[in-house]
Amino acid sequence: MQPQAHIEPSTAPTPTGLGTPHEITHGPSFAMLRVDLQPGVTVVAEAGAMVARSEQVSMEVKMNASPSASFFAKLKAFFIALIRKLIGGETFFVNHFQSSQPGSVWLAPTMAGQIAYRRLHGEKLTLSTGAYLAHVGALEMKMKFGGLKSLLAKEGAFFLELGGEGDLWFNSYGGVHAIDVDGSYLVDNGHLVGFEGNLTFTIKGAGGGLMGLVASGEGMVCEFTGQGRVYIQSRNLGSLVGWLTPLLPG
Amino acid sequence: MEVEIAYRPAHAMARVVLERDESIVAESGAMVGMSTNVQMQTQSGGLMKGLKRMFGGESFFRNTFTASGGAGEVLLAHSLCGDMVAMEMTPTGYFVQSSAYIASTPNVNLDTKVGGFKTFFAGEGVFVLKATAAAAGKLVVGAFGGIQELSCDGNLVIDTGHLVAWDANLEYTVGKSGSGWIASFLSGEGLVCHFHGQGRIWIQTRNPAEYGTTVGRMLPPKKR
Repeated sequence: MQPQAHIEPSTAPTPTGLGTPHEITHGPSFAMLRVDLQPGVTVVAEAGAMVARSEQVSMEVKMNASPSASFFAKLKAFFIALIRKLIGGETFFVNHFQSSQPGSVWLAPTMAGQIAYRRLHGEKLTLSTGAYLAHVGALEMKMKFGGLKSLLAKEGAFFLELGGEGDLWFNSYGGVHAIDVDGSYLVDNGHLVGFEGNLTFTIKGAGGGLMGLVASGEGMVCEFTGQGRVYIQSRNLGSLVGWLTPLLPG
Repeated sequence: MEVEIAYRPAHAMARVVLERDESIVAESGAMVGMSTNVQMQTQSGGLMKGLKRMFGGESFFRNTFTASGGAGEVLLAHSLCGDMVAMEMTPTGYFVQSSAYIASTPNVNLDTKVGGFKTFFAGEGVFVLKATAAAAGKLVVGAFGGIQELSCDGNLVIDTGHLVAWDANLEYTVGKSGSGWIASFLSGEGLVCHFHGQGRIWIQTRNPAEYGTTVGRMLPPKKR
């Protein structure tokens, strides 16, 4: 039985329910997000993502940990963040945007690509490193380690697990493509954006044993099993770096 | 003169249609193609002006393209992936982030302005061009990513790395983004531009310096 992966032509997941007013423009190549703020609403965004904001919108930098987390959980988050910063280059600070009058904040990721919107109603969604852009509401964020094997892969050593109720925006390098998995499906580690639903995954070589790992050019893959949705990106940062490196002057 | 922009927004290219003896001035290296009757002349507009431009991250020379003996066309493009916009000159003129400048009609006067000491640390927007014209004219700018026109009605804060151009009547000050210098540094936002007044601001949806840093630190170190 072949994997029954239904390929969705849509680039963005379907929003459900009424979320925070926002608009995503300039997709799929150079997507930018505008979130309209009302008093009492806080937009949390990845450090460095702000493009512009209304003057009345205040910005406050905070460490990336859930508000309800205990001191030890925060300490753990700090160390994981520090390791992530060292190996993955992701920032571990977030900015909180708030406004006493209606105002807007514009956000954009660093790489060329799309922004996807997802409203969470208690379900869990896991993002790979660097895919998180912003959120509004009571979202719980937990850092997860992908296991020792994942260290072999340049990407995907850490995951961000999100749960709770709120709006989530995540970004990709290239377009975002949703795959509804029922059974099993393999995704290249560097192309993984995130996943949700009743899915479990293991990180392994793409096949062909050690030779396949070294010579196929596919590196590590994630094998997903179960039922749920996997988000992938149509480009891969590792490949861009691999292409640029030999072109640099010596 | 007609300017049409194709292949928007990711790989925009401007097609400038010149009538006989009409000219367009363009940033050096921006020309993609042109009719054979179009003559290209390279000018620095004076040594000091050229040096000032070079110091501002632009090229020392600019090229003037003139259609001789009949109509002709010039194709122009930006060096980065992104959108381009052709703007009509207004009595107030524009400020243009210096690396965003691509071309303008010959009557547009371009003056390089040093944005102040603070902007020196911003990486972007160290130098801005003030574009003014006494009569109707055109200005073509290019961006990294998409271009979004925002209307400033009162106050707006914009990351300096995302600025493309703005109406010259807007007042602006460059400053830190957060409440303190440490918070500003940690926030990853670097420097921002505080705008006051009524006018239009064009922003780019990606920050070239940030992109370069992200990809750059994954590249192997240069061999010495």
